[in-house]
Amino acid sequence: MKYYRQIQVALIAALIVITCLWLFSCDSFTETDLPKTQLIKTAVFQDVKTATAALSDCYAQMRDYSMITGNSDGLSSLLGNYADELTYYGVSDSPLQNFYNHTLLPSNSGVSVLWNSSYNQIYAANAIVEGVDNSTAITGDNRNRLKGEALFIRAFIHFNLVNLFGDIPYITSTDYKTNTMISKQTQADVYNQIIADLLEAKELLPETYTSAQRIRPNKYTVSALLARVFLYTENWQLAENESNAIINKTAFYQWQDNLDLVFLKDSPSTIWQLHPGVAGLNTMEGRTFIFTSAPPNIEAISPELFNAFEAGDQRKNHWLGSVNDGTDTYYFPFKYKLDTNSGTSQEYSIIFRLEEQYLIRAEARIHLGKLAEAKNDINKIRQRATLANTTANTSEELSQAVLQERRVELFTEFGHRWFDLKRTGKTGTVLSVIKPAWKDRDNLLPLPASELLANSHLLPQNQGY
Amino acid sequence: MKNNSFYKGRLAFWYLIVFGFLISCTPALAKTALPTLPSSTQQNQISGIITDGTGPLAGVTITIKGQQKTTISDFDGKFTIRASPNDMLIFSFMSYKTLTIPVAGRTIINIEMHQDATSLQEVKINAGYYSVKESERTGSIAKITAKDIEKQPVTNPLAAMQGRMSGVNITQATGVPGGGFDIQIRGINSIRTEGNSPLYIVDGVPYSSQSLGFSSASSGILAGTTSPLNGINPTDLESIEVLKDADATAIYGSRGANGVVLITTKKGKTGKTKFNLNAYSSFGTLTRTLDLMHTDQYLSMRREAFSNDGITTYPSYAYDVNGKWDQTRYTNWQKELIGGTATTNNLQATLSGGSSGTQYLLSGTMHKETTVFPGDAKYGKGAVHTSLTHSTEDGRFKINFSANYTADKNILPPSDFTYKAAVLAPNAPALYDANGNLNWENNSWTNPLATLNGRYTATTAALIANTLLSYQILEGLELKTSLSYTDNRVEENRINPSTMYNPAFGIGSERSTLYLNNASSHSWTMEPQLNWLKKIGKSEINILAGATFQDQKSSQLAQTGSGFPSNGLIYNLAAASRLNISSNSFSEYKYQAFFGRINFNYKSKYILNATGRRDGSSRFGPGNRFANFAAVGAAWVFSKESFLDTSTFLSFGKLRASYGTSGNDQIGDYQFLDTYDVTGNNYNGVIGLQPSRLFNPNFAWETNKKLEIAIELGFVNDRVFLSTAYYRNRSSNQLVGIPLAGTTGFSSLQANLNATVQNSGLELELRVEPFRSKNFNWTSNFNLSLPKNKLLEFPNLESSPYANRYLIGQSISIQKVYHYTGINPQTGLYSFEDYDSDGQISSPNDQQWIEDTAPNWFGGFANQLSYKNWSMDFLFQFVKQKARNYLYNTSWAGDMVNQPIAIGNHWPVDGSNSQTQLYTTGENGEALDAWSSYSNSSATISDASYIRLKSVSLSYTVPTKGSAINTARVYLQAQNLLTFTNYKGADPENQSSFFIAPLRQISLGVQLGL
Repeated sequence: MKYYRQIQVALIAALIVITCLWLFSCDSFTETDLPKTQLIKTAVFQDVKTATAALSDCYAQMRDYSMITGNSDGLSSLLGNYADELTYYGVSDSPLQNFYNHTLLPSNSGVSVLWNSSYNQIYAANAIVEGVDNSTAITGDNRNRLKGEALFIRAFIHFNLVNLFGDIPYITSTDYKTNTMISKQTQADVYNQIIADLLEAKELLPETYTSAQRIRPNKYTVSALLARVFLYTENWQLAENESNAIINKTAFYQWQDNLDLVFLKDSPSTIWQLHPGVAGLNTMEGRTFIFTSAPPNIEAISPELFNAFEAGDQRKNHWLGSVNDGTDTYYFPFKYKLDTNSGTSQEYSIIFRLEEQYLIRAEARIHLGKLAEAKNDINKIRQRATLANTTANTSEELSQAVLQERRVELFTEFGHRWFDLKRTGKTGTVLSVIKPAWKDRDNLLPLPASELLANSHLLPQNQGY
Repeated sequence: MKNNSFYKGRLAFWYLIVFGFLISCTPALAKTALPTLPSSTQQNQISGIITDGTGPLAGVTITIKGQQKTTISDFDGKFTIRASPNDMLIFSFMSYKTLTIPVAGRTIINIEMHQDATSLQEVKINAGYYSVKESERTGSIAKITAKDIEKQPVTNPLAAMQGRMSGVNITQATGVPGGGFDIQIRGINSIRTEGNSPLYIVDGVPYSSQSLGFSSASSGILAGTTSPLNGINPTDLESIEVLKDADATAIYGSRGANGVVLITTKKGKTGKTKFNLNAYSSFGTLTRTLDLMHTDQYLSMRREAFSNDGITTYPSYAYDVNGKWDQTRYTNWQKELIGGTATTNNLQATLSGGSSGTQYLLSGTMHKETTVFPGDAKYGKGAVHTSLTHSTEDGRFKINFSANYTADKNILPPSDFTYKAAVLAPNAPALYDANGNLNWENNSWTNPLATLNGRYTATTAALIANTLLSYQILEGLELKTSLSYTDNRVEENRINPSTMYNPAFGIGSERSTLYLNNASSHSWTMEPQLNWLKKIGKSEINILAGATFQDQKSSQLAQTGSGFPSNGLIYNLAAASRLNISSNSFSEYKYQAFFGRINFNYKSKYILNATGRRDGSSRFGPGNRFANFAAVGAAWVFSKESFLDTSTFLSFGKLRASYGTSGNDQIGDYQFLDTYDVTGNNYNGVIGLQPSRLFNPNFAWETNKKLEIAIELGFVNDRVFLSTAYYRNRSSNQLVGIPLAGTTGFSSLQANLNATVQNSGLELELRVEPFRSKNFNWTSNFNLSLPKNKLLEFPNLESSPYANRYLIGQSISIQKVYHYTGINPQTGLYSFEDYDSDGQISSPNDQQWIEDTAPNWFGGFANQLSYKNWSMDFLFQFVKQKARNYLYNTSWAGDMVNQPIAIGNHWPVDGSNSQTQLYTTGENGEALDAWSSYSNSSATISDASYIRLKSVSLSYTVPTKGSAINTARVYLQAQNLLTFTNYKGADPENQSSFFIAPLRQISLGVQLGL
């Protein structure tokens, strides 16, 4: 019994020792297991399925937010209003109205949404490139496909950015320390990187599609963008080569003669389209553009575009819809026919299609002196619209004819009209007539004011703003 | 990442085993280690009766000086104890003067005890890990006790604190049962709105204040999510202490930055078994309603609007003026939709008692409450509270077990009727048709009562259980361990059946929706502590060392289902044709700390208190997990100095000061990990994953440096007691999203920002006892807080997303709005100051007018009066502040919504000083633009100061002498009885156009003690 005192002391000492031990091992106590409902980045890229989910999210983001989205935040709407394709009818003082009126300020929220969501999507693409490169589990074809698609996405978004904003930073990593103070690069440098990324993507991607509906880019999708890039950079021969590669791949891409079938999900002329998401949904373009009562809610086809169609052009009948409110008739883009859900989805949003490749090739061929062949390409487009063959003969006339066909063929598709006017130096002559507020500065969008404040290396602001 | 959970668990396991073994040895140890004193002299049985001059005094502790022997007086004041003729007996009882009486050979000793004049200074204040005498306190601690809580018929413990504590600003968000409260202890410290909650500790157990609710289910009715504090039953509480300064909060380290709320539940007391029954019923109605236009005023506004817009033929949808609706009809919609009476019934039964070794308390509460809305909404709550205390005969080993279990069920309409009641046209049709069915008046309106076909139901259960073991190893050295467990569960659902819509629209159950939320959180905490007390001459040293280990796991599954085959199956998620999982989360929070306190006390005159804590939290990345917090506090009781000792005027004087740090880790779990989230974006059947955030593992705690200087003065035997404190808290290292260039892919990065928010202020508490006599007593307590909030630093504020919200040198509750300059006499439209002189009123350049909505000062004035068997308590609460008024949320004048009568003062009829611009139906674009700027202008922020008779209680103690009943008390209580305010809106406290204001409750109750 007399040892109790000692036992007691020993126990207390043991307690204190254990407490101390615990204190020294405290780092391990405060370490928690990994969250069960999120994935660690490294784990995402240890499995093709989760890596694919990350890539799929990029497409979903592109479909739903900014640049190529079909809603009114996307280029189809913004640049349609900015150029001469659409007339704005929505609420006053909205970012979209500022595009329409050419009263853009550096603080315009539409502009900053374009900028920020684009770089957010670029971040996600870079994360895939880095994740796949560092992955030990994703190899071979899987690796090539994921990386190739991510490089394609990165190049595509930068391509749109450089055309909208001029000199921009080309982001190739996820490191915020570098990216937050990054400087602008010249347009030529940006294009060089776009081309380098696309050439790498072309090497990595297979010819075949990963799914039946062409909802993920293949090698030819990369070619389609390359053709456009070479067109914009006036590398005529390379542009012709790329478009040739697609047009000659008749096993994949066939001409669709029926104008009403061009924008269906199974159209054989589609090179790349975005899946609408949930089964039964159709395109955002349909929901944005189609209206059933007048005056329209947001926007309608402008009189300039309406009058640009030649008499007898079937595209006017098939691709424009109309609503009459008793006094006036309002027209809307009716390429996509569905503005509601259907049992199964009928229409997907088409980003690249064969017709554009014919027009790219025609333009390239004009500059390469292959006038007759160029004329054939133009007529291919005109014939489907039941128009007579073009009467243009000289390279000047043919260039004009291509521009006209691009206008009525590719209208309200991601700002083709604006980019065409810009790259051919016609913005001022065409738009100053119909936009009273037109200024030369409008060739480029302003850099978002908040971005200039956040990163002084982006200075100077684009000229005139 | 290393995952060695077993290793961690094993240590805990060993710890428990060793401690358990130690405890199991204690009775044996106690017997042998402490030899009983040899009884040198013969002992006699001594008995007596203790009275307070008027009646017997139960519960008085009688000890023999220098011995362990203790007894307690029974209910009749009787006691017996064995003592030697030479012994000294010590009689002690809380708030009474302790008496030391020599036995002097007597066997019967009758004693009369008297209340201690300075007793309040002797009261022990709970400071969490330790308790201090009020007079020797170095920190800033405010307290309310069961006495104050019981006098208010409230369901949330925070409600009982309103107006009673300086520096603590509490507002009730909605008058609906189960709704939320907002508490700010000494202002807003964090720029993150979600990072400003205090730490709640219930009986030593950290209680998560994070709501488990799903806002899609509850936000329409509860003004947010369900309040976790509903899990604490106010009538089971003994006291609530609020720790405010560094001296008091530094020992809570990383979680003390926003103050600590210590909640202590009731415990059994030694004495005869007591059964106590308390029942009350209460009726709740609205305190204030808006003065809205009557039909004639409303219709004339509408007609004028049409004529202003040049419309002569009323359009088909203008039912109110085009003849479709009866233009002589008038309904007071506020009376109809929110003017009901809410009833509350509360019943509590308590059994308590105990011997000197074991005390117990068992209590059960039933609570039922309805709302002022039409329909059958009801709230029910059941709470069980148990407390068991045992100590060994020698008093060295003690165990206290307490458990609180609260379950409640809240059935409410899916949305609040307050806004509808304010905007419905006064000549809108009747709610029911002749057959008693919902009237849709030929589809010309949306019947508000259709909402009642929807329903919000929340079931919550909360368990807080704690075991506190303590063992006195040596004289003055005590080992304590607290082991506790909490479990919170919420099951919420909201149904939107198709019957909520007009049947004419042909909407079927394919549009019915169910929102469902299942969430739970459980945690265990272990806190071993060692406390050493040593007296050396006239000094006393008290050293405390301890550690905390806490592990909390939370999970949530929130789902939305829509498209049901029938409304009868709406609660069955399996029947939904579309299912969307809004959130499926699981998180774990682990927390560990080592804390200590050294208190040095010289003659109760000079007191030095140093506290510190080393904290580790799993919410931060490796390398940033640990941080140190410390504070030092000092007090000088100068009234004990010889030069003041004899002063009869100044009875007490103390100067105290403290400085130190505490932190804030409320940022959510796993933020430092580089993760991918499920976005729910579907792409060809693949659900997307996207990077959650920019990866920054390097963020760390928010730190709050707190300084306080206070003086406490008691005059005339402390009958006038004044305490004044100045505090200055600087919260820096703000954990916010730091703005980044968009080229990073994100707009911000979770990181520490070098911004500093300062909260400073003056707090004043005055207690006066104008009367103190045998029959009549009157005590007044007055408190006043003058807070000031200021943003001291914010690098690159101009380029941050906060540029339009904050200004250096201004409060962080400012709003930058347009400056309303009156009606433009040319256009008849609202006009504003054009700050950038560009001829346009546009955001953000013209939103330069600054209004601060933080309170300028607030306080309370409480009085307790008692005369013989009667007692009366009342509390006035007052706040001086500005707030958004009704103009912020009402539509433009002339629209098809009702307006306050004041809006009727308009241009051009009432000239350029009119309240309201030109009426328009909405056709006048310029008028709409002006109205839209007006809604966000200085005109919509106005005085919202108020004085409110927050609580009144009148009670009568029925004389029960000679009956079986020991005590009987009847009481009448009222909450929010009167409100004096100039506020333009319904209620200056919740300031909401959408949620019902706190109700005026009048209750009648009875309390019986057997």
